[in-house]
Amino acid sequence: MNRRSFLRTSAVLTTGLAALAASLKPLLEMNDFPTMERFLQKYYKEMTPEDMEKVLKRIEAEVEKQYGIRPHVRDLKPMDGVEFVYCLNLTRCIGCRKCVHACVAENNQSRNPEIQYIRVLRLPHGSLDIEKAEHNYAPESVPEKGYFYMPVQCQQCKNPPCVKVCPVHATWQETDGITVIDYDWCIGCRYCEAACPYWARRFNFTKPSIPKERLNPDMAYLGNRPRRQGVMEKCHFCIQRTRVGRYPACLEVCPTGARKFGNILDPNSEVSYILKNKRVFIQLKEELGTSPRFFYYFDV
Amino acid sequence: MRRAIRNYFVFLWRCARIAFVGDWRYYLWVGTLTVICLLGLHAYCRQFAQGLIVTGMSDEVSWGVYIANFTFLVGVAAAAVMMVIPVYIYNNEELHDLVIFGELLAVAAILMCLAFVTVDLGRPDRFWHLIPGIGQFNFPASMLSWDVIVLNGYLLLNVYICGYLLYCRYQKKKAAKWFYIPFVFIAIVWAISIHTVTAFLYVGLGGRPFWNSAIVGPRFIASAFAAGPALIILALQVVRRVTASAPAVETARLREGAVVPETARGRAATIDDLELLARHLPELASVSAEDRLKSLAGAMVLEVAAGDTLLRQGEKENEAFFVLAGRVVVEREESGRFRITRSVGPGEQFGETSALAGTPRMATAIAEGPTRVMRLPADSLRQLMRNPQMNRIIRSRMQERLMITDRGLLTLRGIVQVSMLINVFLLINEVFKEFYSGNLHVASAKYLFIGLHGYHALVPWIWTAIAFNLIAMVLLILPVSRSLKWLNVTCVLCILGIWIEKGMGLVIPGFIPTPLGEMVEYTPTLNETLVCFGIWAFGLLCYTVFLRMAVPILQGKLSKANEEQPEPANGAPALSAAVEP
Repeated sequence: MNRRSFLRTSAVLTTGLAALAASLKPLLEMNDFPTMERFLQKYYKEMTPEDMEKVLKRIEAEVEKQYGIRPHVRDLKPMDGVEFVYCLNLTRCIGCRKCVHACVAENNQSRNPEIQYIRVLRLPHGSLDIEKAEHNYAPESVPEKGYFYMPVQCQQCKNPPCVKVCPVHATWQETDGITVIDYDWCIGCRYCEAACPYWARRFNFTKPSIPKERLNPDMAYLGNRPRRQGVMEKCHFCIQRTRVGRYPACLEVCPTGARKFGNILDPNSEVSYILKNKRVFIQLKEELGTSPRFFYYFDV
Repeated sequence: MRRAIRNYFVFLWRCARIAFVGDWRYYLWVGTLTVICLLGLHAYCRQFAQGLIVTGMSDEVSWGVYIANFTFLVGVAAAAVMMVIPVYIYNNEELHDLVIFGELLAVAAILMCLAFVTVDLGRPDRFWHLIPGIGQFNFPASMLSWDVIVLNGYLLLNVYICGYLLYCRYQKKKAAKWFYIPFVFIAIVWAISIHTVTAFLYVGLGGRPFWNSAIVGPRFIASAFAAGPALIILALQVVRRVTASAPAVETARLREGAVVPETARGRAATIDDLELLARHLPELASVSAEDRLKSLAGAMVLEVAAGDTLLRQGEKENEAFFVLAGRVVVEREESGRFRITRSVGPGEQFGETSALAGTPRMATAIAEGPTRVMRLPADSLRQLMRNPQMNRIIRSRMQERLMITDRGLLTLRGIVQVSMLINVFLLINEVFKEFYSGNLHVASAKYLFIGLHGYHALVPWIWTAIAFNLIAMVLLILPVSRSLKWLNVTCVLCILGIWIEKGMGLVIPGFIPTPLGEMVEYTPTLNETLVCFGIWAFGLLCYTVFLRMAVPILQGKLSKANEEQPEPANGAPALSAAVEP
């Protein structure tokens, strides 16, 4: 190699490397590079109780570091002989959206950008065609004359399209009927979001942000623990509450009692009563064969 | 064994070396692509750090141009191999020489596909969750898991087939049928499967009526068969342009004086000459002495100087040549351009195809430097070919050429023509079904074609696509597209039309309105667009480099025989695979 070609080669190489370094520069802004521990974390169903113990401790430490509050993160399993069902009385719902905000507060959803699991639709009387629904209604007060309201959230289908399409089993249906997500396993392909006929799934397009003072420290692994950038989340019937015998947050806050929740396998439960005795109830988009565990009914 | 491995690495090393050698057009093209790649990488790093929020996607429209490009490119990859069908099933000779270009395009297209799905992931760091055996692979339930298998399998198949064929060419060995024909047939079935699986990705979603239609699969295949070969036609035209002859040879051609005169510097061939030839052509040793002697009847040995013409395209003679020493370049003239079809060295033959068939010369052969050749009548060649080993080697070397003929391109045009007609027909079917029945599910189609509730971002796009497709279809039916210039225009229209129709026109409206009836539109951001350009540049860069390696191998200029010789000098235009400016 002569002097000239050496100089030329080194000039080309230096320029190339400098250009490559410049292209990679935005990575320096990242303060959330996955650690080796997180990178190698096992799939939820493959973790031994000891693995889970460790992971829960780590998550608690991470949350404390970020928010300054020591949370209590549990891995709650489904109860035997329980299958949850939700019933929503469309006659009673007044469209106040209190459920939407209670859900955000309970489940540590990102406030910016805003993520909400419940969308309340306003429909004109006489139609259940949701293509006619108004999403952004903002009147002085609700209810408005000539309209009824229909809150939509995850329908916890018996035959969930989202579970079928997930390429990595990151979402599945538990024995109590709740479809959950392992936030640490999801690869963020958003195929489930495309598959869901109820628009119930949400994606963390960036790092979620929750004000420290608003963090709910009572957390479950498959439930409301804070999510990371690039993963899916959705309504999980407030797993951290319902699996320890409490009602979901959206139900507790409802001022009209439009929301009913319970165990369909228990013949004496409120939901069993409704499904047996109310004569009008709807499963949204029943024709798709998803068989939701979420029933809408009217008082007649 | 060690020797074989060493040889293989020398092959790879030489291929890698040659990718960095070319004329100024090559450097300009590769340099520009590299810069665009890096801009794309920069944009992707921003996305990696900040999340997909830097794209135009939202919870309402959760897939965008990444998946649109992915869908289009799967089609290109599939169609690139479908070209193989006429070759291996109907024995179409014209396309035989073009197969390798299709396969290489398939490799480049699949690499782009994989890049596009990767940039679409929210957590690319968790890619290992997708690896069967290590992660959790939802097979066969998830269509995406099928896609992972078929795309990667397809990539491996094509890399193997291209690599094997090129390495055989490089060694000037005949490719063993059992080593690649079965894989070619698997690749054909596989090609249909990759595109069908990609269609099923959409078709399988009951909650999205716009996609949930059985016709999407056939439409994908039809449009892919139009866009894929159209892309190959354009690529081949570029290859043809850059394989035009070297100036030195050009001047030689201009030199007056026809074929080397019979007696000039020639003498009757002797048995010693055959001995010399056998040193480069070991198969000759198996010919019996008697037959060898017989073949010498009428054989001559000619000593020629650089630039001398040994045979001329279009003339009718019935003699074949073997090179004893030196090198001969064979070039073919078509539509006023000369292109190198092969470069032959000691032990190799030329002029044999026309001699054996008794047809006019297909190309002109010119000595590259001082060269000694043996010229022998067709009958003598037949005499030698009675020996099975000689027959095999001569027949296999007959295939060793780079010949992109006008007829080959027009055969591809035929494929594009039929596919485009079917594609437009299927589109009409879809539109009829959507609009005539007029049920509730027409909302997405309405949004796409005429706009809905005052939202109509996609309307100009889809009508542009339809116009392009229709113009391309008409041009393809008219004889005007038999002229290669018009064929180029038609191909560009096909590619653009189908890209819009299949990418933006299929993926985006599936999300609008949302399943809850909300209207939210989608526009790609600058960052997202840069990532797309980066990936396209990366794919083109791959294809350019593949061609840069493949063309000299196909021409016989880069072969094991000339391993010891220095690499072709910088700026030797005969070798430069620059792209049409």
